[in-house]
Formats: sequence, structure tokens, C-alpha cells
Amino acid sequence: MSTQTFKILVTGPFAAGKTSLIQAVSQTRTISTDVVTSGEESDVKSHTTVAMDFGTYRLDGDDIRLLLFGTPGQARFRFMTEVLKGDVDVVAFVIDALATETHAAAGVELRALLRDLRVPAVIAVNRCDDFEVARRLARSLGALDGEAVVPCQLVDPDSGREVVVEILLTLLASLESTKVEVA
Amino acid sequence: MEKVKAVAHVSRSWMTDGTTPRPPISTSSPTTTAWTAPSSSMPSSPPARATLPVPLGPVTASTPAISTSVPTDPSAILDELVAFVDGVRAAILASVDGFGLARSRSMPDEASHPAMLAAAIGLARQLVALGGGAQLRQLVVDHDGGLMLVWPIGDERVLAILAVSGVEQQRLRSFVQARATGLAGAVS
Repeated sequence: MSTQTFKILVTGPFAAGKTSLIQAVSQTRTISTDVVTSGEESDVKSHTTVAMDFGTYRLDGDDIRLLLFGTPGQARFRFMTEVLKGDVDVVAFVIDALATETHAAAGVELRALLRDLRVPAVIAVNRCDDFEVARRLARSLGALDGEAVVPCQLVDPDSGREVVVEILLTLLASLESTKVEVA
Repeated sequence: MEKVKAVAHVSRSWMTDGTTPRPPISTSSPTTTAWTAPSSSMPSSPPARATLPVPLGPVTASTPAISTSVPTDPSAILDELVAFVDGVRAAILASVDGFGLARSRSMPDEASHPAMLAAAIGLARQLVALGGGAQLRQLVVDHDGGLMLVWPIGDERVLAILAVSGVEQQRLRSFVQARATGLAGAVS
């Protein structure tokens, strides 16, 4: 059986945890374009992604490989999302549950992205342990009922792997539904 | 113009012999000792403040165009660059995280420009490793409308120069080298 490769777009607001997710789960050396922050953003964190993050994940025993493409979070880098979004299979949208000031703009971004790409999404709600809280936040962002929601703590690599599991389940469900439609 | 020529002459030894590595733009005093290539055993992070032996040339009273007082405001430096180096159309200085810091009057005010420069230089720094290097010296975008030269200014800034294809790059680099401290200085 040949390896099936899937492209995952990891996106979301500034400082949501996108780079942490990719670095936590990638099984190959990650490509990172972190630079030091300046101005007000330096109050939030010391480094930020300016072009992209890249990592890979291969599912043991199955010939499935994920390519994880992470975007910068700030609106001024939105052109990178345009560059990276081609042929995406799943959007992994990372949101910081506690950074409430980012939620309104994140909802606009998520809805626009899903309307544009028409692919399934996994909403990774960072800094959240409560599934119900995560689900409500995802709904408020515009996530649909069937879309996967994962509360996570992305400072913990194990938590990042839970997000990847959800991505894989979402992919498999998507493939199954495609098969049914074909049949 | 005479000043630019003088600087280009002084710096010719490191720019034209084809064997001496061309360093990134220095942000430290131009009077310090010569820049040396980092050894291959050095970590991927380059020395933050490599230096160059490129002092300003003498400015005589008969110098017709360039003021004897060197501008320290980055925008003024970029306007001076456009005015005094033939073939330069525009220039922009950005932070490595994508904020505009200064631009020549000929450069449009477009928020995405500094962000694109930051992204490009961020990726280029990763591509350096692919090429077996450790330190990015420049990124060149060669297109049918001319050249864009993108140079790191220290560790936290990036300068993009839009020029015609035939721009004299040695002169350009000498000019920027002579103004490196100002370009790396206070935000305009």
C-alpha cells in the first residue's frame, strides 16, 4: 500500500500555540521562521513566526503521513495563509481559550477560511481542560456541530498528540464519507 | 557622489576579490577590525555584530551633493540612498517581525510590504542551511522590472532596495555600510 500524504494547515491567532503544536508532534526536524518580536507584541511573547512552520507526522503501522504547515498569526502576514492553503485536507485551527480579545477576529477568520477551503476542521482550544468550555468556544467561533473540538494544553507534547489523533480521525471520517459518496 | 565613490574605493578589497566572504551589513563602528568568516564549527546563530573595515571616505568642501553631516534618521538615509546611488528607485527598512520602520519617499506606504520582507528573509535564513551555510548575507529578487536586494541589518532589521538591473551593487553596499549605524538605530 502506498503512503497517503495529507496536508494540514495549522492556523489561528497570534500566540495561540500553533508553533508549539507543530514542534510537539513533528517526528522530523521542524522548519521554523521564528524571530524576535517588537513593540506591543513583545509584551505577549518573545518570538513569533513570520513565514511558516513545518513538521511531519507518520502514523505507525498505517501508511499515512501528515504534513503540517503552520501560518503566522498576525493579520499582516495573512498573505502567507494564501500561499499555504492550497490543497489542504484538514484545517487545524488553534485558539487560546484565555486570550478572549482574539476570539472575535478569530471567528471571522475561521468562518472565512472554511467557506473558502470547504474542508473539515479540528478546533484545538489551547489552555483549556474542559470539553464543554472548548465546545462552546468553538461554536462561538462558527464551528459546525460535526467539527472536532479538542481542549488541550499545548505546552505539553502529549496534549499536542491528542490534537493529531483528532486530525487523523477527522481525516478518516472524511475519507469514509467520500467513499460512500462514490459508491 | 564623490563620497560614495570614495567609500567604494576603500572597501574594494573585501567586495571584489571574489575570495573574501561578503559579510552582512554591520551595525557596529566602522572603524573596528576586519570582519572574518565564521568557522564551520560555529552554531547556526551568526555573530550578532560582525564588523567591516569600511570607513567613510573624506568629504571635501567641494563635494557638491552630499551633506557633510551624515543623516542618522533612517528615512533620511533611505532618501539619500535613492538620490545618490544611480539606479536605486526606492528603499524600505523593516523589523524582522514585519513592521515598517522607515521608507524612502518613493516607496509606497503599504503595510504588507514589511511583512512580506520579514517572511522572505525568515524563509531565506532557513534556506541558508539547505545550501550548507550558516549566515544569510543577502536575498536577491531578480525580475523583469529590475532587482530587489534584501539585506539583513544586524539581527533585528532588514533593508530592501528596489533598483534597476544594472545598479552598481558594490557602490550600493558601500553606501549602506557607511550608514549601517543609522539604519540600525532609533526607529524613525
